[in-house]
Amino acid sequence: MSDELKPDELLDKVDHSPASGSWMDTTVQIRPGIFSYAAKPESLETLSAPNPRQWNPLDDDWKLPENWQEIIHNGIKERLEKFRTFKIFMDVCVRCGACADKCHFFLGTGDPLNMPVLRAELLRSVYRNDFTTAGKILSKIPGGEKLGGGRPMTVEVLKQWWYYFFQCTECRRCSVFCPYGIDTAEITIMGRELLNLLGLNIDWIATPVSNCYQTGNHLGIQPHAFKDMLDFFTEDIEEITGVNVEPQFNVKGADILFITPSGDVFADPGTYTCQGYMILFKYLKDKYDLNVTWSTYASEGGNFGFFTSHETMKRLNAKMYAEAKRLGVKWILGGECGHMWRVINQYMDTMNGPADFLEEPVNPITGTKFENAKSTKMVHITEFTADLIKHGKLELDKSRNSNRVMTFHDSCNPARGMGLLDEPRYCIQNVCDNFFEMPENTIREQTFCCGSGAGLNAGENIELRMAGALPRANAVKYVHDKFGVNTLGTICAIDRAALSTLCEYWVPEVEVYGVHELVGNALILPGEKKRETDLRMEPLPGMEDDDE
Amino acid sequence: MNINKSLEKNRKKIIDQWFEATIKSYPPETARVLGRIKNRFDNPVGSATQESLENVFDQLLKDLDPGKLEDALDPVIRIRAVQKFTASDAVGFVFELKEIVKNILENAPGEDFDRKVDQVALAAFNRFMKCRESIFLIKATESKKRIHRAFERAGLVTELKDEDLL
Repeated sequence: MSDELKPDELLDKVDHSPASGSWMDTTVQIRPGIFSYAAKPESLETLSAPNPRQWNPLDDDWKLPENWQEIIHNGIKERLEKFRTFKIFMDVCVRCGACADKCHFFLGTGDPLNMPVLRAELLRSVYRNDFTTAGKILSKIPGGEKLGGGRPMTVEVLKQWWYYFFQCTECRRCSVFCPYGIDTAEITIMGRELLNLLGLNIDWIATPVSNCYQTGNHLGIQPHAFKDMLDFFTEDIEEITGVNVEPQFNVKGADILFITPSGDVFADPGTYTCQGYMILFKYLKDKYDLNVTWSTYASEGGNFGFFTSHETMKRLNAKMYAEAKRLGVKWILGGECGHMWRVINQYMDTMNGPADFLEEPVNPITGTKFENAKSTKMVHITEFTADLIKHGKLELDKSRNSNRVMTFHDSCNPARGMGLLDEPRYCIQNVCDNFFEMPENTIREQTFCCGSGAGLNAGENIELRMAGALPRANAVKYVHDKFGVNTLGTICAIDRAALSTLCEYWVPEVEVYGVHELVGNALILPGEKKRETDLRMEPLPGMEDDDE
Repeated sequence: MNINKSLEKNRKKIIDQWFEATIKSYPPETARVLGRIKNRFDNPVGSATQESLENVFDQLLKDLDPGKLEDALDPVIRIRAVQKFTASDAVGFVFELKEIVKNILENAPGEDFDRKVDQVALAAFNRFMKCRESIFLIKATESKKRIHRAFERAGLVTELKDEDLL
């Protein structure tokens, strides 16, 4: 527990500088560089989401529906009845302050309203005022609102909600330290869900959601373009290895359906991770006759619906099961993604499941049963690859990665959302010689977020992203200075993009790699030629002079 | 006693007060957290600020080298460049040093010392501008890359290298 902040100090004596008075009275100042642009009306229309219109967060008038307070009130009421966690989290916080200094956004921005307890209080104060007996009684007494920690819902409060619920990446680091186990991410999830009732989403979430709903992936890439991109990778890999790794698409009766975030297909450096998957599947096909198919319909593993509402998350997630059923595969293999795995591990089974038409996942090559995927029928690729390595089923040449001095960033959702901690490390240590951990209070369950998750990897909020990235970058810089680490491994598509940018600002000497990019470099394909470059077309260690 | 000796003798006291003054530029409830450093990874802003102030102070005892001075200032300025500070607030903590030293030293430090502090402030401003430029460059490059890739996918442009995007 934090001993810097005591409950009374934290809430009763909060006094913003230079403004005076309680945090509850503070008018929000929406600052460029911190906020993300408003959702475009056409993206909301795709999903028949409420109140689509052009609006600007910097304007006074947010063009809200006339009865917006009633909508919010009823929205809270409905969710209190529907989600037991939400009700408990609203009631149970004792404001001990243990979470206060655990948030990367608070540590980076220095804005007190980014302390998880205060971010949650933005919503909790309205709950107290409107839904608790004490709050209702106290609100009638002069000064009673403050005494009860309640306040009425006003436009200023709504603006605070919007500003600060989109300054939380739902990473759940704070919840690790909460003695009551309050999952502050769920409060943000509810806050955003309520904001969506009024059409108050950000565009970096709403447009990917709309794209995904219409074409199957966040970027709105149509099936032929998706295939073109993988064909393009096939050509590159053939140039490097001499082997044609052509993938197969939409194959009925394949053993396994593979789904990964579309960022792996279209955004560097994720594209190299994608090439790593392709090399692995070719290897498994040639050696063990394993039949893996890609889908141009379920062409997105990520789910920005998760950052919008439960309903939207469900709608986007449904295609994974629908496609697995249509193709008649045995089970689903999932790529290196972050929030995709929280959706799968914690929601999918009860949301769109049970997927009783699929088999309980067993690795056909090693016979390993993936017990933790027994119900969801979806296995994480690092678990799958770690299992293959453990059973000696992959022929690997570590020396091809010997110029990589590695550390590993635990992505928040696989680490805290499903406990996937050792498998990626096991893969890395089997394909690389040099591996150094970052300090223990910055990794595994205590990992610091990249600062760009939960739909916040936009361009316009770059200052927020860089400030939020500071605690992570600080630990990366430490291992860079101490051990000469030059490569940050990760298993999340947003991380691959976000960490690259944060390194550019904070630790420019460090590059970001997906785990399967390293696997792809090390894996010796049957019949391959002598490789001279890695997947980035950079000379392999010891081949630097062969260019000339 | 010459000024450098007095400064060295009071090193800890001066740096502690300078650190406190710098951290006070944050809202009070934030300052309370950032002001206590138990672990540099749990409190990156506090520890980077402390580290920078110590290194800058040590530079003040030597002939000032603008390059080394900027390097010493980098950790604290790089952070303040992405926080809610105006340019003057981001570098203003440097000037606090004049008053602190005057109050602590028995003999007034003199104009030479003030001029040195001014040089530190200018170096801080230089580094602040570099950080801001870096932020804008990163922002511009990121968005150019995104837009360019869309054109590339549509087959409208040929492949460009990163250098061409800058």
